[in-house]
Amino acid sequence: MISSSSTFGKLLTGRGSRQGLWFLPFLIALAMALWLAATTSQFGQWSNLANLVAQGMPLLITAVGQMFVVLVGGLDLSIGSVVSFTTAVLALDLPVTVTIPGVFLLAGLIGATNGYCVTRLNVHPIVATLSMQYVVLGITRVLRPVSGGSVPDSVRWLVEGSLFGLPLPVFWGIVTLLVAWKLLYGSRYGLHLSAIGGGVASGSNDAARNFGIPANRNILLAYVICSLFAALAGVFLAGRIVSGDPNVGLLMELDAITAVAIGGTQLSGGVGSLHGTVIGVAVLALLSNGMNLLNITPFVQTAIKGVLLMAVVALQSRKKIGL
Amino acid sequence: MSHPIEMAGISKAFGGSVALRDVSLALTPGTVHALMGENGAGKSTLMKILAGVHQPDSGEIRRAGRTVSFANPRAALEAGISTVFQELSLLPNMTIAENMFLGREPLGRFGGIGRRRMREETKGALARLGLTLDPDTLVSDLSIAERQFVEIAHGIDADADVFILDEPTAALNAADVDVLNRHIRALREAGKAIVYISHRMDEIFAICDVVTVLKDGQLVGTRPLTEMTPASLIAMMVGRELEALFPERGEGEGAAALAVSGLRLHADSKPFSFTVKKGEIVGFAGLEGQGQQKALRALVGQFSPAEGTVSRRGNTIRLPVPEESGVRRWQALGGAFVPEDRKDEGLFLDHSVGQNIVAALHAARPALKAAKRYSAVIAETMRRLNIKASGQSATVGALSGGNQQKVLLGRYLATDADLLLIEEPTRGVDVGAKAEIYRILRDFAKAGGAVLVLSRETLELIGLCDRLYVIHGNTIVSEMRAQEATEHGILDAALSA
Repeated sequence: MISSSSTFGKLLTGRGSRQGLWFLPFLIALAMALWLAATTSQFGQWSNLANLVAQGMPLLITAVGQMFVVLVGGLDLSIGSVVSFTTAVLALDLPVTVTIPGVFLLAGLIGATNGYCVTRLNVHPIVATLSMQYVVLGITRVLRPVSGGSVPDSVRWLVEGSLFGLPLPVFWGIVTLLVAWKLLYGSRYGLHLSAIGGGVASGSNDAARNFGIPANRNILLAYVICSLFAALAGVFLAGRIVSGDPNVGLLMELDAITAVAIGGTQLSGGVGSLHGTVIGVAVLALLSNGMNLLNITPFVQTAIKGVLLMAVVALQSRKKIGL
Repeated sequence: MSHPIEMAGISKAFGGSVALRDVSLALTPGTVHALMGENGAGKSTLMKILAGVHQPDSGEIRRAGRTVSFANPRAALEAGISTVFQELSLLPNMTIAENMFLGREPLGRFGGIGRRRMREETKGALARLGLTLDPDTLVSDLSIAERQFVEIAHGIDADADVFILDEPTAALNAADVDVLNRHIRALREAGKAIVYISHRMDEIFAICDVVTVLKDGQLVGTRPLTEMTPASLIAMMVGRELEALFPERGEGEGAAALAVSGLRLHADSKPFSFTVKKGEIVGFAGLEGQGQQKALRALVGQFSPAEGTVSRRGNTIRLPVPEESGVRRWQALGGAFVPEDRKDEGLFLDHSVGQNIVAALHAARPALKAAKRYSAVIAETMRRLNIKASGQSATVGALSGGNQQKVLLGRYLATDADLLLIEEPTRGVDVGAKAEIYRILRDFAKAGGAVLVLSRETLELIGLCDRLYVIHGNTIVSEMRAQEATEHGILDAALSA
């Protein structure tokens, strides 16, 4: 009796685990879904659910990438620009065999530069990645000042097609989560990211290094992973809007950070979970989908997003993990 | 018998300042080797070199006769040298098992982590220390003592035969110190070589076999502890005897600077009263955690007692006072409060000596008035307290413990406070600085101030104070003149109450 209630207490407060406060956002997401199912007839329809997944997918992919950086106490503000940049490159008049590898290569380079600035040049993550946001946005606007061009049909099919009776976006989600799961939980790398973040959060940057963990290399890799996921989200969006758009990624980095934070990942580093991030994405996606179904203006939606973020994060005590 | 580890002719300089000069140290299996010296004598630097945190400028480390060098702490651990540092090095957001295997995780199926093996080996290592902690517990959920035990288990699991314990008891209570000592003895019986750094004499004599003393980065000597007495050990460390540590007592027969009556710490504890007179140093003694700190902190709102009345400068204050404004109101009445943990509760570590000293002066002025520079006040305080720093703008965090403590004291001595509440005045402070701090407190009392002090070190209270209140079970059980008090007498008063 006592043990079950304390287990539940731990779940509610996120104490005693490194996963952060994910259970409360889960309840919020569940309540939203149930409420929408009960009050609107369209919500449960197959087409709406498919739409929900497709709409939420870029956010899911970018948020999962962002989480790697947040886990080591960093932030990546450049991913919105990377998304726009990717759509612009895919809409160039070049074969996909060139543009897709090229765009991932460049995204990796962008991430490596972010990581280098943060780890070696000791630039604060916000400043380093904000600079990168401007640089990439500038280049994107040179490539494509206004939206236009066309994206090859193959990319379009990857987003609009279906396989085994399921829309393809579902598979994008599965692949994203599998890769992230393997990196975070099925490898030493993920454990080392948590260790580095835990050291940063408790005020000793060398803590993980003293265990023989190459902290700088691992942090740099986290920025590379984040950028690569952003490029993946960019490919997805390009397939959806079928053109290059320099503004499509605008503010996506903030949505990704919002989703990560709502999912219980601590921005000071070291605490968070992949399922928490999925839940954070679900909350934002349901919010947007539900508001559309209820015909509420998107401006109210933005305000509610802010209230939600503040409420959920305020419930997590930042000193929860020791020190 | 061969030495598992020998350090020979080690020298190390940081920038311009020499931390170690030609120091040698040989460890023997099955002995606890005390390393002593004032703060800044080079003990920690020497151990950090052995643990691979720093590399020596010259000299060599020999492991079982062969010369070795450690690039990082991990390399030292793999060579069998385990360290429990003053600043704990475990990661709070990881489980015990993860901490034990961090950086050397076993691989499991499909290239993942062998969590089951980690868990089982961790359980085994903890069991060898008689601990029944769950390996999946987060380190942040452990007490400080448990964290230290986990670090020791970490060393045992890594098959270390050299254990370095750098001030392991600084943050432990008496019960945990006992458990720790038991573990240390078990390690000694298992034939491990142990280095033990501590400022506490009683501990050194209770568990150590050999002592090496460092002074100003140089070796003073290595002796068996059976040949030593506390007085001769201190003489070896500072070239001065124990008696010289404490200044002469004062008269202490002025008017009451503070009178507290009917203080009940908890709803069910017995009320008590006490006074501190002008020119007097009064101490709260007794076993640890019996309410001494609560009684003191109740005055400044850092503890909320059931009830009580404070008379101070003709004002009557009813307790409890609010936590938010307690210290501010205390200061407005010419009081000062020097908390126990100078790093977390007292100093602004990243700020300069000057800013730390004038913090209380600024706090007493209206918030929107332009800040005065107070350079003369800072210079005078630094001179009077003999604060050794490169200048007023030196960062406090970089100073030695003794100088930090003097800066904290200086903050309140620079105001016109005439009543000082001070917790653990010399925690983590070397012997030389201790003597200076005692003199500073005595001078303050002689100039008409009053001091109320609490300390875990009973000898310190006896030597420093004029009058002692023995506190036990959240109430005062005895009052005695410090001159006539003994450790035995205080313990007796506490336990027979």
